[in-house]
Amino acid sequence: MNYGPLVFLTAFVALSASWFGFVLTPQIQIGRLTESTNTLNTAELYPKARPGQAAQGLQVYRANGCAACHTQQTVQEGTSIDVYLLEVGTNAAAVSTALVKANVGFTRIDDPGFFLNLPKNILPGTTIEAAKRAFKGAQSAGAKAQIRINPQGPDIARHWGVRGSVAADYLFDQPVMLGSQRVGPDLSNVGARLPDVNWHLLHLYAPQQVVKGSLMPPHRFLFNVAKAGQHPSPDALQVPPEVAPAPGYEVVPKPEAVALAAYLVSLNSSTPVFETPMTLASSATSTNSPAK
Amino acid sequence: MSQSIKRSAPASPSSSQPLLKEPAFPIWLIVFLTLLLYAGAVYFDGHGSGFHPQVYAPYSSYTQLADLQITGPPNPLEIGFRVYHKPSCVSCHQASGAGSPGQFPPLVGSEWVQEPEPGRIIRAVLNGLQGPISVKNQQYNNAMVAWGGVFSDEEIAAVITYIRQNKDWGNNAPAVTADRVKAVREKIKGHPGPFTADELLKIPAAD
Repeated sequence: MNYGPLVFLTAFVALSASWFGFVLTPQIQIGRLTESTNTLNTAELYPKARPGQAAQGLQVYRANGCAACHTQQTVQEGTSIDVYLLEVGTNAAAVSTALVKANVGFTRIDDPGFFLNLPKNILPGTTIEAAKRAFKGAQSAGAKAQIRINPQGPDIARHWGVRGSVAADYLFDQPVMLGSQRVGPDLSNVGARLPDVNWHLLHLYAPQQVVKGSLMPPHRFLFNVAKAGQHPSPDALQVPPEVAPAPGYEVVPKPEAVALAAYLVSLNSSTPVFETPMTLASSATSTNSPAK
Repeated sequence: MSQSIKRSAPASPSSSQPLLKEPAFPIWLIVFLTLLLYAGAVYFDGHGSGFHPQVYAPYSSYTQLADLQITGPPNPLEIGFRVYHKPSCVSCHQASGAGSPGQFPPLVGSEWVQEPEPGRIIRAVLNGLQGPISVKNQQYNNAMVAWGGVFSDEEIAAVITYIRQNKDWGNNAPAVTADRVKAVREKIKGHPGPFTADELLKIPAAD
């Protein structure tokens, strides 16, 4: 029996269906993404094209296979919604009544100490509907409240990012260095975590000196160890004595190292976007207590 | 010819030809594949978010996402926090606001930051600051970048409000409005370069 045409047709349908689903549809949907303003109502555009040196650093990152051990995607697994009472105003009893009326789980607040030590998380882990009711209630009674939306997930708990990664984060990356193995930490937000270029240079030169027990191999080929001479280079790296070269020599980062460090500092996905709503962590309004 | 007729004759039970006792495609496989298809459809329904390009896991629909967009007047402290960590101020004055000895003065508890009238600090941020300055009885000497051309009036007002009202630093001074920054920007149009500490001290506080 000749099943040739049937086998061909089946394979053709299966492959073209997945091509339509995984290539064509996403291309139609997000193939023409552009930078846009975020939800903060400021004129800030996101994402921004990387500065030239950082754009070169992406190629250094690619050439040295950094993506073999580092990912650039933060996974978000949920959202927790809290309501913070910032100021209680003049009438604490009215605020208490309003919160009970809002039907968000408050029975009655008799303890006047409840309204001390503001700002205070009065409704941890609630729903958005209840949060909005409580917010309105508190506002009508003259208090100041704030709804805080905190992305949750193991990556966020590790401080690898503040929200889940979305397509817009990679808009100016060519190619996108998503990575698949996490031998080292996720780097999608490393520029916000570690904004110091010199830290990154020293970390590339001697990882174990900056991070105890680091598995990262030293990338000393990105540095020149040269005689200091009469006029030491202003770009020379300050290295700790354990890894310092012989006296009279200095460690000068090559352009590749400088570009890579600039790229790492430019990796910053902490801007809120429509796709992952979040309230910015600001020390002026937080209570330092992590949500859950 | 007679041989070929013999071969195509109905096979006896003992011949090697298989008999169609049960269907060639087993029923259990059909049931299994149907269940697999059903489970896949349910998974798609739960995780596909209607194939909307702006909806990512863990969100399941656009309406849910739109509901979570908290609109309202932006909090100047939050904008200030963002401007501070651009990285702009944070590069020298540190996230802790402690600065670095001898070079960059601290913002924590600084008398310059917490002046009741913000005229001087606005000037320092707009045009930069150069030369020696005494903060909390310590001498510092380095150059501060002029941020006037980088940030808008709103952003500069927000970041100054942020450093003046940062509770973690123990700072508590009145907020700065964008109008005030705008007014100061007009006044210092004839002063292109950075200020010095002495120059700032000569300016009346309320100016």
